[in-house]
Amino acid sequence: MKVSFVGNFGARPEVAKTILGKVMEKIEPTILFDIGDTQRLIPALADAEIVVSHIWKKDFPEAPHLKFLQSPAAGLDLIDLPSLRRGVTVCNVDGHEQAIAEYCLMTMLALSHKLVDIATAFKESSNWSGGGAGGGPLHGEILGQTVGIIGYGKIGREVAKRAASFGCTVVAANRSPVADKGDATEIYPLVELDRMLPRCDVVVIAAGLGPETRNLIDAGRLALMKPTALLVNIGRALIIDEEAVFNALKDNKIGGAALDVWWRYPSPAEPNARPSNFAFHELPNVLMTPHCSSATDGARDRRLSGIAGNIDRYVRGETLRNVVLTT
Amino acid sequence: MKALFLGNVAVDTYEGIKGELPSALECAIVNDPVDRSLLPGAAADADILVSNRWLADFPPAPKFRLVQSVATGVELFHMASLPKGCAVCNAFGHETAIAEYVVMAMLALHHRFFQISGEFRERGSWATSWVQSGVPHGEVRGTTLGIVGYGRVGREVARRAAPFGCHILAANRSPRDKDGDVERIYPMTALDEMLPQCDTVAICTALGPETMGLIDARRLGMMKPGAFLINIARGQVIDEDPLFAALSGGRLGGAAIDVWWQYPSPTEPNRRGSGQPFHELPNVIVTPHNSGWTGGMVRRRWDEIADNIGRFCRGDSLINLVTTS
Repeated sequence: MKVSFVGNFGARPEVAKTILGKVMEKIEPTILFDIGDTQRLIPALADAEIVVSHIWKKDFPEAPHLKFLQSPAAGLDLIDLPSLRRGVTVCNVDGHEQAIAEYCLMTMLALSHKLVDIATAFKESSNWSGGGAGGGPLHGEILGQTVGIIGYGKIGREVAKRAASFGCTVVAANRSPVADKGDATEIYPLVELDRMLPRCDVVVIAAGLGPETRNLIDAGRLALMKPTALLVNIGRALIIDEEAVFNALKDNKIGGAALDVWWRYPSPAEPNARPSNFAFHELPNVLMTPHCSSATDGARDRRLSGIAGNIDRYVRGETLRNVVLTT
Repeated sequence: MKALFLGNVAVDTYEGIKGELPSALECAIVNDPVDRSLLPGAAADADILVSNRWLADFPPAPKFRLVQSVATGVELFHMASLPKGCAVCNAFGHETAIAEYVVMAMLALHHRFFQISGEFRERGSWATSWVQSGVPHGEVRGTTLGIVGYGRVGREVARRAAPFGCHILAANRSPRDKDGDVERIYPMTALDEMLPQCDTVAICTALGPETMGLIDARRLGMMKPGAFLINIARGQVIDEDPLFAALSGGRLGGAAIDVWWQYPSPTEPNRRGSGQPFHELPNVIVTPHNSGWTGGMVRRRWDEIADNIGRFCRGDSLINLVTTS
């Protein structure tokens, strides 16, 4: 069985090598990091029955034997589905949802408690304001707050479970109907998001990027949010209108934000690229991280074990896990 | 019936609860030490003291029958200077806010949040991102949290940590029943059995003879290499110098410290919380004893204090009775 690990995610040594170390069945692997290397991409795709890649471009060479495309990422937004031949099963990964849920709780707590401001002022100038001697400015807490989750999938449910134990009221909005509400008290259809947003003290974006979610949080919807509301985005940046959210944060139209996903990413030419054309890094009410909410040791282990397990299942003719669609 | 509200926290409390107090209650508001000259007159005929302190050199207060602390700790009340038979009550409402802080700090330490977000904000460094093949950070799922002092705060911490998939252990001075969220509760005398198992240790105990210096060099040495320590209790529960050595030397992975060994004074308002430069360590989150200082805490605490004053005035049984002088 020929398996090709392709691109700067699937063919990354610690990804491909770790997966290969966990695969039990006999396979013939090919590893190609640079998808711009057409000379090597052509044979890598020509024979492969399984490809591990988070990316599939329109101009990719023929892959006549491809049956199973395993993405090492959760989002399939870089996979051009129409260019895949008919009958290819596309799987994504899970195991990151617990790590990302931890990030969501951590950032909603840190924003409410003003942790970064307080800790920085205390570290830099031993500013005891609001502490020690008693008196002084109070910070917030999440007990009793309403958390609204956009996209009630695996991540959203893990967020809900944790937030509920903090005494939050959890509501969610989801594109398709949800049978099991989990820890949420109410699920809105995504088309009725405008009814949910004004209720929320915290809005967590845990949706994938697609036609229904692209630019979902625009200036109009930001204006529906409470002026104190906090926004946490671990979905995809393009779900939020970049300029509108920057202005809302700069002008304190919303309370604050924690952003892990971005409108711009680094490239070899610009490894320290700023993540947006707008200066989010100058805003005091923004917590920002470099797309790493899922980059925990545990999540990597769960994801890579899941991919290895799926390769084994395919070779043995068993049912695959995390099937998103079949072309 | 007269009540004396003494000190800045009590003054704020009065402003917050004056609408809920019995109408017959006469209140004297003394913003000690600013209005110290008013204290003798106000203390002479007050039945109720609302404050965070009553010091040995304060003027006579022969009529006090209820001392209502505006905080949980009552160590600043000099019991011998209070009239005999006076009820001393404390106030809570902070336990949920502090529990939020403990879980937040635990998450931030395991996720290396300050280092990663700081690098990204200041220098645009993507080094920890999957995009750049960064080294993974930790998560709390599957790790073991040890709670030292399983009282009100400790139980609230356990309740919040459990859905993260942590294993939760606790150590408590007085025996406690096993709790749904906790796998095992050790007696404090068996703390040494618990410490080596923990990836995170959260100090949630009161300060007393048994807990002063409880976490000393020997016990710090028993903790797992790379473990995290969170202290929201009192500075003196941990030995200052060995903790600094363990953190600066890399023996421990990091710490979140909210309570300190020394505090600011009017003459030194920006005094450092320790003789050791904890604030210079990148793996230490430092906050100025305000883990519980939330808007919700103040409202809950005011409600308890107003409730207790009402009970006292009606002759009903008191809540939160700590001791009788």
